[in-house]
This record gives sequence, C-alpha cells and structure tokens, in this order.
Amino acid sequence: MRKAGENRKKRNVNKMGYLFVVPFAVTFLIFSVYPVFRTLFLSFTDFKGFGDPNFVGADNYTRVVGDKFFWRALGNTIRIWSVNIILQLGLAFLLTIVFSDMKYRLRGLGIYRAVYYLPNIIAATSVAFLFKTLLDWRYGSVNQILASVGINATDPVNWLGNSSVAPYVISVIGAWMWFGNSFILLMAGVQGIPSDYFEAAAIDGAGRWKVFRKITIPLLRPILLYVGITSLIGGLQMFDLPFLISGGTAGNPSGKLQTVIMYLYKFGFEIGTHQVGYAAAIAYTLFAIILIVSVVQYRLMREKED
Amino acid sequence: MELKIKKTILYLLLFILALTCILPFVLMMVNSTRSGIEIMTSFSFIPGHALEDNWTTVFGYFNLFRGFFNSLLVAVPATLLTAYFSAITAYALAVYHFRGGKALFLIIVVFMMIPGQLSLLGFYNLIAKLKLIDSYIPLIIPAIAAPGIVFFLRQYLLSVLSKSLLEAARIDGAGELHIFHRIVFPIMMPGVATMSIGAFIGNWNSYLVPLILLNSPEKFTLPVMIASLNSSTDITSNQGAIYLAVAISVIPILVVFAFCSKYIISSISAGAVKE
Amino acid sequence: MKLRKVAALLLASIMVISLVGCGDSNKTNSSSDAAATSSPTSSESSGTTSSGSDNTATEPTALEGKLVVWTLASDLQQFSDYFMEKNPGVEVETVVIAPADYPTKVQSALLGGEKEPDIIVGEPQMLEDMYDAGFFEDLNQAPYNAQDYSDKIVDYVWEVGQDDSGIQRAISYQITPAGFYYRRDIAQTVFGTDDPTEVGKLFADYSTIIQTGETLKAAGYKIFASDAETGYFSGDSAWVVDGVLNVDQARYDYMDLCVALYQNDLTAFASQWAAPWYQAMSGPVPLLTAETQWGTDSMNIWDADSFAAATEGTDTVEVFAYGLPAWGVLVMRDNVGDTAGKWGVCSGPSYGFGGGTYIGISSNSERKDLAWEYLKFCTLTEDTMEWWIATSQGDTVSYIPTLEAHADDANEVYGGEQLYKFWLEQAEGIDYSKVTRYDKAIGDAWGAAITSIKTGEKTKDEAVSEFYDVVESTYPEITVNR
Repeated sequence: MRKAGENRKKRNVNKMGYLFVVPFAVTFLIFSVYPVFRTLFLSFTDFKGFGDPNFVGADNYTRVVGDKFFWRALGNTIRIWSVNIILQLGLAFLLTIVFSDMKYRLRGLGIYRAVYYLPNIIAATSVAFLFKTLLDWRYGSVNQILASVGINATDPVNWLGNSSVAPYVISVIGAWMWFGNSFILLMAGVQGIPSDYFEAAAIDGAGRWKVFRKITIPLLRPILLYVGITSLIGGLQMFDLPFLISGGTAGNPSGKLQTVIMYLYKFGFEIGTHQVGYAAAIAYTLFAIILIVSVVQYRLMREKED
Repeated sequence: MELKIKKTILYLLLFILALTCILPFVLMMVNSTRSGIEIMTSFSFIPGHALEDNWTTVFGYFNLFRGFFNSLLVAVPATLLTAYFSAITAYALAVYHFRGGKALFLIIVVFMMIPGQLSLLGFYNLIAKLKLIDSYIPLIIPAIAAPGIVFFLRQYLLSVLSKSLLEAARIDGAGELHIFHRIVFPIMMPGVATMSIGAFIGNWNSYLVPLILLNSPEKFTLPVMIASLNSSTDITSNQGAIYLAVAISVIPILVVFAFCSKYIISSISAGAVKE
Repeated sequence: MKLRKVAALLLASIMVISLVGCGDSNKTNSSSDAAATSSPTSSESSGTTSSGSDNTATEPTALEGKLVVWTLASDLQQFSDYFMEKNPGVEVETVVIAPADYPTKVQSALLGGEKEPDIIVGEPQMLEDMYDAGFFEDLNQAPYNAQDYSDKIVDYVWEVGQDDSGIQRAISYQITPAGFYYRRDIAQTVFGTDDPTEVGKLFADYSTIIQTGETLKAAGYKIFASDAETGYFSGDSAWVVDGVLNVDQARYDYMDLCVALYQNDLTAFASQWAAPWYQAMSGPVPLLTAETQWGTDSMNIWDADSFAAATEGTDTVEVFAYGLPAWGVLVMRDNVGDTAGKWGVCSGPSYGFGGGTYIGISSNSERKDLAWEYLKFCTLTEDTMEWWIATSQGDTVSYIPTLEAHADDANEVYGGEQLYKFWLEQAEGIDYSKVTRYDKAIGDAWGAAITSIKTGEKTKDEAVSEFYDVVESTYPEITVNR
C-alpha cells in the first residue's frame, strides 16, 4: 500500500471516497446495524418471542457457555464443514487449474461453468428431497445399485440414518452444491490476471506448477482471502441442508447433524421452544467464535504475503 | 498424442461431473409433468402425463404469472442496486485513502459474521415503524448495502486494477465519477456479473422476508406463493404442482445467467481489459 | 465467446422444450390420469364448490364488509369461498401460509399492531404460546358467549380451544382422533377375521402389537410401513406434571415396542411421509433386506416400469396397518390405488389425536362482529358441516349434532364401517388434561432416544441420560429427577 497524501490534489481525490460510500453506509446503518443491535439487546433479556422482555443480565450467555448441546452443535458444524470445504475448494481449484492451463486449452468453459453452477440454482428443499430419495436406506436407488453389483447387498449402508456416516454425506452434498460457485469465483479471479504474466512465464519456460505457485496464487491472494473468510462464515452458519435432510432442528441421527444455527433456530423460531433471548445469545456467541477464528485466519494469510 | 489422451480423459471427467449437476434439474422438470401420486410412489426420469393437471392445480391456488411479475418487480431493481452500489463502494474502499475507510471495511466483514436469522425480528420492527409493511420498498432499498458483495468486489479490484491506469486518467483531467463509470466499472464487470447472478438468485428465491412483510395476496412474490402450495392438506396431490411452479420459477434465473455469462466470460488468453 | 452464451441459452431452451414437449403429449392422453389424480380438495379451492349443497339457509340479516383470514391449512380457503357464496356482501381474503412459518408471520404482524388479519388459526401445539401472547380474542364475553355452544362441540376439541384459565379462545371444525387403518383382506387371511373390534384387540397394548407383528412376519407381511405408526398412542400420561418431568413406565414400554418393531424386522423400514411409505398403501413394495440378493444386469433403475418388472416377485412385502388420525381417510383416499375398498379402521392401544386447525379472532381486529359470524359459520353451523362432509369426502367434523346425524352412516369404502360413530367414540376417550405445551419438544427428544437405541448407536442408559440432558437444556424451568 502506498502512503496516502502525496500531494494536495491526491488528498482531495481521496475525499471522493466519502461520497462514494455514503449510499452504502446510510442504508447499511438503517437496515442492517439497527436490527442487529436490537437482537443484541434481546440477548440480555428473557424475551420469549412475545410479551415484554425482562432484563436478565448475562444469564443467557452463561447458559450458552454451559450448554453441552451448543458445543456439540459447534463440533458437528466444524466436522461437516471441514470435510465439505476440502472437497468443495479442492474440486474448484482443480477445475480452475485445468481450465486455465495454457497447454490443454480446454474448450467449453462457458458450458461447464454454467452446468456446474446449476446445483446453486435449485432450491435447497429440492436438493434435500432428491438426496433423501436417492439415499433412502431400504428403498433408495443408490443402495439398490450397490446391491445389484454385489456391494453391501447383505447390509445396506443407512446413509442418512447412521450417525457416523450422515455428517460426511452432508459434506459431500454441500460440496456438490457449492463447488460451482467457488469455481466461478476463482475463475473470475484468474481471468482478471493480466495475460502478459502468463505469457512472460511461458517465454521463461516455467513449468505448470511453478506458474501456478509463483503467479496464480500470489495474484489471486485477495480473492482467496475472500473465499477463505466467506467459506468460514458460511460454513459455521450452515443451516438449510442439514436441517432439511435431517428433517428438523434436532439434527438426527443422534443429533450429529445439528449445526449451531439449527440449535439457534430451535429456540428462535420453533413452536414450543420459543426462547428468543437465548437464541440471540447463541447467535452472538457464535459470532464471537467466528470473529476470533477469522482474525487468526486473516493473520495467517497475511503473514504468508510478506 | 499423450496430450490428446489426457485431454480426452479430462473431458470425460468434466462431462461426468456435469451430468451429476444436470440430473436433479432434469428430475425437477420430469416431476413437473408427473402427478403427485406418481412422484410420491416411484422415482423416474421418464416424463409423465400430468402437466396439464399440475398447471390447473397451480393456477387454482394463485396466479403464477402475477407472482412472477411481482418477483421481477422486486428482484430486478434490487439486483441492479446491489450491483451498482456495491461496485462503487468497493471501488472507494479499494482505491481511496480516507479516514474511516478501513474501519468501514472491517465493519462490513464483521457484520457478515453475525448470524442474520434473528435480525428479522428487529427488521420487522423497523419497517413497521417506517410504515412500510406490505410494500416492496423494504425488499428493494436494503439491497444497496450488500456487505458480502462489496467485500468480494474490493478484493477483486485489488487483484485486477492497476493504479497507473487511474493516474493516467487523472492526468488527462477525467473526473472521479467519470473514471469509475468509464474505466473502472468495465474492468470490474466480470466480478460484478458474477456477483449479480448470485444476488439475483438470492433476491428471486428470497422467501422469509417477503413472507413476513407482505400481507396482501396480490403482492406476494413467487416463493411465497409456492410455499402456500406446501401447506395444503393433500400434499401428495400437490407435489407435481409444486415441481411445476419451481421449474417455472427457475426460468428467469437461467435467463439472467445467460445474460451475465456474456460478461463473466472472457477467454483466458484475452486477459483482463487493459486498454 | 458465442459458445458460452449459446450454452446458457441451451439450458434454458432444453427446459422450455421439455415443458412444451410434455404439454403436447399430455393433451392426447390426459383424460384418464386427470380424472384419477386431480383431487377434489385442491380443484375446488378455485371456487367451484356450489355443486354440493343448495342455498337454502337463510341469513337473518345480510352481512357486509371485508374479512382477512390467515390460515395454515388450505381447507379454510374452501370455507371462505363457501362463506362468500352464502353471504354475497362479504369479501373474505384468505391467505394460506406454510405451517412452518405461520407462527413467525402471525407473531410479527400481531406484535407489530397490525389490524389485519381478523381471523387467525393455530394447531394444538402452537396454541398455548398464542394464548399466552394474547393473540386470540376472549370468546366467552358478550357478544360471542361461546360457552353457550360448549355442548355442541366434542369435548376435547372444546378444551384445546381454551387457555390456562379456561377462557374459550378458538374452536375447530374437525376432530382428529387416531386409529389404525388396516388391510381387511390381510386380516382375514392371517387372523381369520376382519371385524374392527376383533382386529382392534390385535393392537390392544404394546406387547400384543409385537405379537401381532411376529404373526404377520411369519405369514410374510409387515405390520407397519414405518416404526412411527404407533406414535399417536405413545403414552397415556402427561410429560410434565407440576413442573417436573414425568417419564412413566408406559413410556419405556413404548420405547421397547419401537425397538422390537425395528430389531425384529417387523416393519417395512420406510420413513413416514416418504415415497415408499405412501407406496406401501397401494400394495406390495420392493424391500431391500438382509436376505435379498438384488437385481439383474438388465435392470434399469431410472425407469419405474422396468424397475418394477425387474424387482417383481423377488422381494416385495405388503404392509398391514397405518396409524393415522381421522384425516388419514383423506391420505388413504389419495394413495390406496388398487387396494381401495380393502381397508378398515380400528382403535389403538390408547386414545390419541393429531393435528387439527383451530380458528379464532385476532384481538387486534377491528371487525370482530363479522369475524365471529365467520367463526360460527365455520364451526357451529349444521349446514356448513354437511357441506364440508360432502366436499372433503371423509373429514370428520367436531359438531356433535352433525356427527350424531351421521352416526349410522356406513362407509362403503371401509367395508361398511360406521366411521363417524367410531371417530366420535375415539374422540370422547381423549383426555386433554394430559397434553402440555412441552409435548412436542420432549416427545421428539424421546423419539430421538428411541432411534439411537434401536439402531444400536447408544445403549438404553446412554440414550435415556441424553434425553434428560436435552430436556434440561431446552427447558431450564423443568425439574428433571433422574
């Protein structure tokens, strides 16, 4: 980063920055910051979703910290997410490398990119319904195909009902759903890199791996930081897929599919368990955790830069 | 020769991966032509004969075209606002050095980390105070502030924009807004287009907020209408109708995708716009 | 560059073509399917309900105005249409909201002080919270005086509509007692009788159900499609008594029943409300079991017909019974297919009920008089009840005079059983005082414990201890004595 304020003109130019961010900042303040602070306020009350909130101090937070199901949900989330992110980003990276390789010059990038993006377009409800049908223990096509070729015929795998398998099934489905999106982001980043870099490397006779490591990765770093942080945020806030597939906030089998947001949802929105104040405390505890992890992640990614 | 074999294998793998992505799509369309009972009792990729019935069922509940129109009325302006204001905000954050700029960027990232589900309560409260219940305004205007997209575009600019280009333009005497519109925005286009697709899908599929904020049935957006199909007592017979409605609702997304693809797609050898 | 645009457009056109293509083929041979599949309930919501009954009822005064109804069951849409038909001066706007989001929607609107809706509804498990929040108008006060009608409505329904202090807040037009729907032909083959009373004895208590299941298994049948069928009869005591968690012996017995059904291979291992579960209503289903060796190479699993042909006669099972509330008649009607007319209904090991739409007036409404007319029309009017019986083709109303008038009706689809009389008897046995606001969450936790035991993921002790933990962490106000 260059030092700001080299001359008067430059400083005036920088003032334009205020003007450009005003619409964003105003809208953001009204429609995002205000509701968030209201939720923060609720986390210090016993608000149940109706009636008057009573101030209870930090009670909700001590309850979160002592709630073993909150920590279990966090563990579940991390388990599902870590496998998911490795598969998702791995696949997206692989595709980016393959498609940006000057040697192969693969055609049809547009078609593939569009097709790979399709799972993002379909509503999560449809995806969940599809996989529940395909992976049904005794009636699903997957087990029927496996049985017909002689695998698992005597003891079919209960993909979604066995608590040591189901979390990873969710990871795989999630990776399948979102790899197209990551691929598009990475590809957009790679395409933004001026081609003279690659041409120069080609003239120097640099190998594929070397080009990738010395040119692609460093120039992609800002995008990678974005992908890294947003996958972390999105991953720890995972909800739709496990919720729909396990069919409720309990995250069965054996609670292994209960993510933190599902646990929050149980208290925030579910009939009979409405404890909005507690749900808000869960939200802010999760926020604190994400914040800490992000800071660490950011530090790590920045240090490599130097 | 070796390269050719490798390429063939690669194409084959890419094709298989593509197939898995298309299948659920095909299934959705096939199911929209099957009766609810057929869907519930068997799994098939052969189209059925119940399209007309499903059509009748859907339109017996609501006017799908009305919902379609309403959704467009919300999603198109919201997406345009998101695209433009995110771009200009990202540009300001990436290029200008002004007091509070860094802080704003940090706040944006931090706010992305707060689980948004519960903000709905406060959001409703606010909209009620502003007397904007049952209006499209609270569905459109907040789109101006899309933290995730600003974050991405800022990062994108950092990796593609060369500052010398800006200096050159300034020396030529171009105004800042002019520079943004004529030089920076085209350079950002691949990133903006990519994000716009996601923003449009998000707006188009948005369900809970419009459900809570809209009260008049004639203002309902498509997802709100479709969800009411689910609450029927005879869910079984409505399955086909739900698939049909969902299949129809996907069309605009495909159109937007086709449109934006034009911008996100620039072949690798062409590189970024530098002229 | 062009190629990519073409690709995206191609996708869109594939879809359009497939839709158009199917549309064409549909026109040629739609008649047979159309008649069979378009359900009367859904098609009539578009406003063609006039055929059912004559417009003979005379209203004393012509009603006028507008009403807004927010409901989570589309049934009420039909009631509204019928109401408008009878009262041409009234415009009823009925908004159907998905049940999962209904409480959120109503809550934000009413807490935000919205004057509309005028009519709100709730299912039993939501009602207590809604009463507490003060969403429902007190119906015992003048001019409503709902208490005058208390003998007209089945007792338990009346009680569900009352808040803690016994004030009437909501009324339902239907009763939802549960029973077992069973295959009479299988009963005849295996047990030598298809009489509802005799078959009821096969479900008399949990251990008898296991025996019945074993007998059916030996004869090559499965007693249930899923192991959730006994859920409506899962306990005869309250979950929480005076703020203390109450797990009585019957709960453990029920647990043992579920574990036995699963581990002894007595059910067809379908998931409730999933495709195979429905499929088993209409006849044999192909079941992947430990004994099965599957398939042939020519089997095409993507094609339902060839799949059915390939799996036919290899390993299919037929299911004997389903545990469902009175509205199960509607589910059955749509799904039994070839087995239509072969079903009977009998009582379960205890009295239970499931669901039901309760209608009340929003306390924020500014049109309460008209809303009360609507409420009376939907729940306390004989003509409407007659119309609903005809329209719904089998739903069971809660209005006692109508139920009694139909008590001797023989339902030919169910082998001439007097279903209305049967459901009324079942409904009279329901003890609503055992129902608490905690039931759904605690019942779900107990169900999760049962699942972990039956699949062998946890021992009984571990699962029960985890159950206690869940209850404790969910409801800090409940005392848990382990």
